[in-house]
Amino acid sequence: MTGASITLKVNGADRPVAAVAPWTTLLTVLRDELGLTGAKRGCNQGVCGACTVTIDGEPVRSCLSLALNCTDCEIATVEGLAPAGSLAPVQQALAEGNALQCGFCTPGILIAAHALLRRNEPLSVDEVRAGLSGNLCRCSGYKKIVEAVVRASEARP
Amino acid sequence: MEFIRPDSIDAAVAALQAENAACLAGGATLVAMMNADLVAPERLVSLRDVAALRTAMRQPDGSVVIGAMRRHRETAEETDLRDGQRVLSDAAGQIANPPVRNMGTIGGSCAFADPAADYPPALAAADARIALVGAEGRRTLPADAFFVDWYETALEPGELIESVILPPAPAGTAGSYTKLARVAGDFAIASVALVLGMEGDACSHLAVAVGACGPAPVRRRDVETELLGGGLGDSEIRRLTDALADGLDPVDDVRASADYRRRVAPRLVRQAIAEAKQCLSGTQ
Ligand code: FES
Ligand code: FES
Repeated sequence: MTGASITLKVNGADRPVAAVAPWTTLLTVLRDELGLTGAKRGCNQGVCGACTVTIDGEPVRSCLSLALNCTDCEIATVEGLAPAGSLAPVQQALAEGNALQCGFCTPGILIAAHALLRRNEPLSVDEVRAGLSGNLCRCSGYKKIVEAVVRASEARP
Repeated sequence: MEFIRPDSIDAAVAALQAENAACLAGGATLVAMMNADLVAPERLVSLRDVAALRTAMRQPDGSVVIGAMRRHRETAEETDLRDGQRVLSDAAGQIANPPVRNMGTIGGSCAFADPAADYPPALAAADARIALVGAEGRRTLPADAFFVDWYETALEPGELIESVILPPAPAGTAGSYTKLARVAGDFAIASVALVLGMEGDACSHLAVAVGACGPAPVRRRDVETELLGGGLGDSEIRRLTDALADGLDPVDDVRASADYRRRVAPRLVRQAIAEAKQCLSGTQ
């Protein structure tokens, strides 16, 4: 089959996409059709968290979300965290804390951490670890990531 | 492959009456299997828009009906689950990690029936029933009859899970889910779902289901019944764990050996009972 023409709402903008096959994941559309390559394809199995985006404000796996199921949702990716050329507080915190090495896991971590910080209260190490438990990092280690997110939560008004 | 998004249970059931049609619930398992080229349904019936499957409701008699599309996060936070029914919310909160709990559904998890998943033992201990709907109508099955074998359920082709029904738990009982896993969010090496009631030193309610140690959760209702009314001391717990051990049929896998599972399961039962007793004595 040739697939359906749909419109996805991504980072606040309507993005038309043509010829979407039923098995096409949101991750594939974001990366291959819309050029939003922030979300990464790590495992394509829902295990690593590199593809994490938010749907209607909640972090989910874009590799396990079918694009045709997302037509009436608000999708947000790491590209939408802050206007081009600036950093959101959580991005600033990870940068300042040297909380990344290769950066492959970082977009997913940022999305998960950003959702945690919406609670708008200081977070404990355990809360951050639980909140980021679905995001694997294969190189930098987790200590600096967790510390950076804890600091970001404390710095909030 | 066809993709259909019906907006009612009737329309979903009608759409399922085709060769090689599959329900798409949260996607956490089915889409992963499609990505790995393990399955390729000819028709995907997305249940996303079926509002009737998304609700959870406490009934006047204290039972709770949880729609098949309720996500793990919602079940973990479900305030309608009370007393021993909390065994289910406790299990839901230990499934995978926050993004997956935002996607995965109770119906999807039950239909896949991974023996190491967290819901099957919790449903067995809660004496839950699974409500199914198909072209021929509706039927409900106890969890014991629903989980048939490794990754096999009593679901017939063209049938879908409508809801999971938890009977009322006696007031004052406690429900808990104790899971041993390699890391947070992994599938269980072994797990124990428990509903316990104590009146003073006497056991007034007991339901223990062991998960991840065989094709389906293991319960020994006969021994549970024998232990009612008595003190739940070391020798009584021993009788229960010995009986449970007879029913275990674990396998070696990447998480643990069968032998290890056999050794650890009785200890988990003891730990779960000790913690539940502690928690009950704190509230009495
Ligand atoms: S790519 Fe989606 S979880 Fe790994
Ligand atoms: S920084 Fe390399 S995987 Fe996390």
